[in-house]
Amino acid sequence: MPEVMTRLGRFALALTALAPLGLGCQDLNTPIYFPSPAMPALAVDGMPVMNNPPRAENGLTLRFRDPTKTERQTLDMQTQSLGFDVPWIQRDHVHIEMTYEVTNTGSTPGMWNIGIDGANEYTKYDENIVAMVLGQGNNDAPQYIPLIPVTPQLLGPGQTVTGTVREDDFDEAELDLDAMGRWMAPFNAVLINNSQVNPIGLSMVPPNVVIPALIEIDVNFTADAAMSCTYAIRVRDDDDQLLHDTIDTLFSPTPALFVPAAM
Amino acid sequence: MAALATSWLLAGASVARAQVTAEPTSAVVFPDPNKFAHGLYTEGEIGAVAFFGKAGEFVSPGFAIGAHVGYDIFRWLALQAHFLGSTHQIADGNVLSGQLLQTYQGTIEGKLTLRFGQTSIFGEGGVGLARLSTNALYALAVEPRYRVGFTAGGGAGADYHSLSRHFSLGIRGDYLLMTNLSGSQELMATTYLRYTF
Repeated sequence: MPEVMTRLGRFALALTALAPLGLGCQDLNTPIYFPSPAMPALAVDGMPVMNNPPRAENGLTLRFRDPTKTERQTLDMQTQSLGFDVPWIQRDHVHIEMTYEVTNTGSTPGMWNIGIDGANEYTKYDENIVAMVLGQGNNDAPQYIPLIPVTPQLLGPGQTVTGTVREDDFDEAELDLDAMGRWMAPFNAVLINNSQVNPIGLSMVPPNVVIPALIEIDVNFTADAAMSCTYAIRVRDDDDQLLHDTIDTLFSPTPALFVPAAM
Repeated sequence: MAALATSWLLAGASVARAQVTAEPTSAVVFPDPNKFAHGLYTEGEIGAVAFFGKAGEFVSPGFAIGAHVGYDIFRWLALQAHFLGSTHQIADGNVLSGQLLQTYQGTIEGKLTLRFGQTSIFGEGGVGLARLSTNALYALAVEPRYRVGFTAGGGAGADYHSLSRHFSLGIRGDYLLMTNLSGSQELMATTYLRYTF
């Protein structure tokens, strides 16, 4: 009998040693990918439009569920204790990354550029609106200032390049958008500067602010040759806030469009 | 006179008796496979998993770690549960290249063993479930919108038993169909250490 118990003990020990492997792996990497709305998502023919490189743009809206009654009560309590609104979709719980693939489909080399805009539950930023406001009263070429810029690159005929806009890039953009939308930050100062290097314009942002995450991602693609761009959005949803096929209702905020003061 | 002397010598000799010994019925077997432990066993394994078919175009081969828990009903027949996790990178040439993907698989298998002393060969097969950690293959339009699907298949391997009655080690390869991944299969090749209780 003692020998049997010893064997069972060893068996249990072996299973116990294996269990964390499975559980640990499960939590390492569970993102959800959202493909771009069309394949390819964005395509330009390289022909200039009013002396400007052609642009193509589209985006996708992430669908989240409404908070439960308990979650709503928690948000209300946090709002009361902090003294400012606490967003439902928070940067600390929803992590966004974008991967893209650009292909030169033409016979001439060209420069391409991607600018990413978006919206949180309070504010929507559109670089086209901002460029239009900034361009009022002059005939200069539009000046596009995206929420997240991607470094322009030269691409030869037939070549393809892939890249990633990382989670920390989206973290910075989410801070900038909230600063512009809720805390009166000068938009060009916060967009041009990296807050970790130069926090200029963020003086009005409370240090204990709860930053909202983006719920809409808009991609602007520009190229001076025939090119196409495909992208995908990766979301790590810590608290299971994305809307699944359940009885949950859709979270439907109405963010206000950001319009800078005419310069 | 001579004949008399010879008779005297022979009359004094004792009866001769030959020593008879039996031939051994069989050669000594060492180590004796009958003394190897059998019954409940566990195996820990490491190796690689590669996808073929449609999924193989998008998913690179990856590192795998797994375990078997089984029971020898007879020395030649066992039933076992198999758990395997593997991690992969999305291959180049698409918008998700470089992203990570894990698979978790569990199967119930039967195993037939043919032993030659310390060495044995075996065949095994079964059915089970596979789960993907992300919907990356759906985003790449490789698969329908699912993460859990059925698998079925089998394989073979070779085992070498140590002089300890509990431990053996070996290699195995299994080929499985992934029913929910349209037109896709996977090959897993691992090396394992087995402990029989």
